Amino acid sequence: MSAIKRIFGLLWTIMGVGIIPLVIMQAMKEIAAKPSEENWIFWSIVIVVLMPIIAFSLITFGIFALKGEYDVIA
Amino acid sequence: MAQNVTNVSHTEEVSSTRRVIAASSVGTLIEWYDFYIFGTLAKIISEQFFPKDNPTAALLATLATFAAGFVIRPFGALFFGRLGDLIGRKYTFLVTLVIMGGSTFAIGLVPGYKTIGFFAPAIVFILRLLQGLALGGEYGGAATYVAEHSPEGKRGFWTSFIQTTATLGLFLALGVILTVRQMLGVETFTDWGWRIPFILSALLVGVSIFIRMRMSESPLFAKMKKEGKTSANPLAESFKQKDNLKMVLIALLGATAGQGVVWYTGQFYALSFLQNACNIEFVQSNIIISIALLIGTPFFIVFGALSDKIGRKYIMMAGMLIAVIAYRPIYTIMYNDANLKTKEVIEDKTVNKMKYEVKGTDSLITSVTTKLYTDGTSFKETVKHKFPVDPALKAALPKDKLKPETKKEVTLPQALYYKMIGLVLIQVIFVTMVYGPIAAFLVEIFPTRIRYTSMSLPYHIGNGVFGGLVPLISTRLVEATRPAADLPPADPLAGLWYPILIAGVSFVIGSLYISNKTNNLDVE
Repeated sequence: MSAIKRIFGLLWTIMGVGIIPLVIMQAMKEIAAKPSEENWIFWSIVIVVLMPIIAFSLITFGIFALKGEYDVIA
Repeated sequence: MAQNVTNVSHTEEVSSTRRVIAASSVGTLIEWYDFYIFGTLAKIISEQFFPKDNPTAALLATLATFAAGFVIRPFGALFFGRLGDLIGRKYTFLVTLVIMGGSTFAIGLVPGYKTIGFFAPAIVFILRLLQGLALGGEYGGAATYVAEHSPEGKRGFWTSFIQTTATLGLFLALGVILTVRQMLGVETFTDWGWRIPFILSALLVGVSIFIRMRMSESPLFAKMKKEGKTSANPLAESFKQKDNLKMVLIALLGATAGQGVVWYTGQFYALSFLQNACNIEFVQSNIIISIALLIGTPFFIVFGALSDKIGRKYIMMAGMLIAVIAYRPIYTIMYNDANLKTKEVIEDKTVNKMKYEVKGTDSLITSVTTKLYTDGTSFKETVKHKFPVDPALKAALPKDKLKPETKKEVTLPQALYYKMIGLVLIQVIFVTMVYGPIAAFLVEIFPTRIRYTSMSLPYHIGNGVFGGLVPLISTRLVEATRPAADLPPADPLAGLWYPILIAGVSFVIGSLYISNKTNNLDVE
């Protein structure tokens, strides 16, 4: 079980890192295609609020899991 | 004699239990009521304070909607959580109640944009932020307070009463608004009557403060304070110490993020889907949701109590997994049942009516078409075309200003109406599975000295951010499947991918890393 937890830790870390360029590129693409106020507000919320939370929490969590910090959970 | 003493002691304990649950739940319910009336009356508030022709006011309206919903709540969690771990639970969640009630009451008194101009949206915006801040501090306090009074083995049951308040608060808000509107009439309500639900909050909060003032401090916190074991810096201990940060991350990613999206999908997205994707008539769609919520609400307590027996994790994870698997089939049935393309129209029951009238300098053509289908479904389409009487002015207007306004309303026959209630109820059951045990789960994974701070943040990020963004992101995902602006979306169910993805990830993380063991609360 511990090995699975650690392997998944790598997955969470990759997901956390990967989401940053993915979201930014998508935002740039969509805003360039249609630079409406609605688009700006939507992507601002995603980039300023949602993305940092997801990226930070997944990366930190993934690193902890990878290091075996969650091998034993109380 | 000994038997009598035991009975008296038991009776006192039960009475004390009820007081603790009542004092905490009533206050939290009122805070949810305060928070929801702003959202429910958003359209009227927008007209009164945030005129669309003023870009700054319009921007403030958007910020007020989003900022108070998810940016400010985690800050409230940090601010009041810290306070609760430093000075105590009782006084802190008393303060949040006063701030929430005071802000709500004040919103009801702020003069409109027409009277004081830009100050109106600015003041309302600040008051709305205060509401978000107070809400961020309230839940953690109430859950911690009740949990720290709970006997071992009954914490899930006790705290589940706090979990019902978010749903009951919505009921109270809708009930008060509909009653006042009914009593005053739509016109008076839109003019000034909408202020009554806000002003009424002062009375509700007053009662709740009176009840809470009479309560004693949480026994665990009082003991810890007496022994000098309280945290000197709850924020640093919560988020800088690895052992605790680990649990904050698990709570967020493995529980509250998934719980937040399941909650929002079952309670809010379902209504939006019925009204916008299925075009179900306004009153019927609201009744469908209300009945499903009413029947489903006791299950918060059922699953809270069950989590004391079989563990919090199993119930929460089961709720997330079933939701992930079942959402698309459930919504497919909902969509198909209201889809007129699959129904047979009774041709001789189709009625078209058209009305032409002049309102001031504008002409208004209203066209109403009603249809009846063989299964008993009825459909009404109202098209309103407004344009200036003066042809020169009409010619000068851009095309989008001349676009007719179309409203489609589907009214389901009784059998489909009950079926729809059942389908929403299933989603509410998912909500109760993930939400019922979560307060007990959160309080048990953090130590008493930093519990308020540590549990409040993941709860409000999970619910406020991950859950709060369901309407915005889901709408966006559906819109992305629309081939052209005037064509319907290719996949009206595309909005479900967001809750499915978040709940799916949360399920995997929760299943792998969360323990099903129920922990005791201590002061160490």
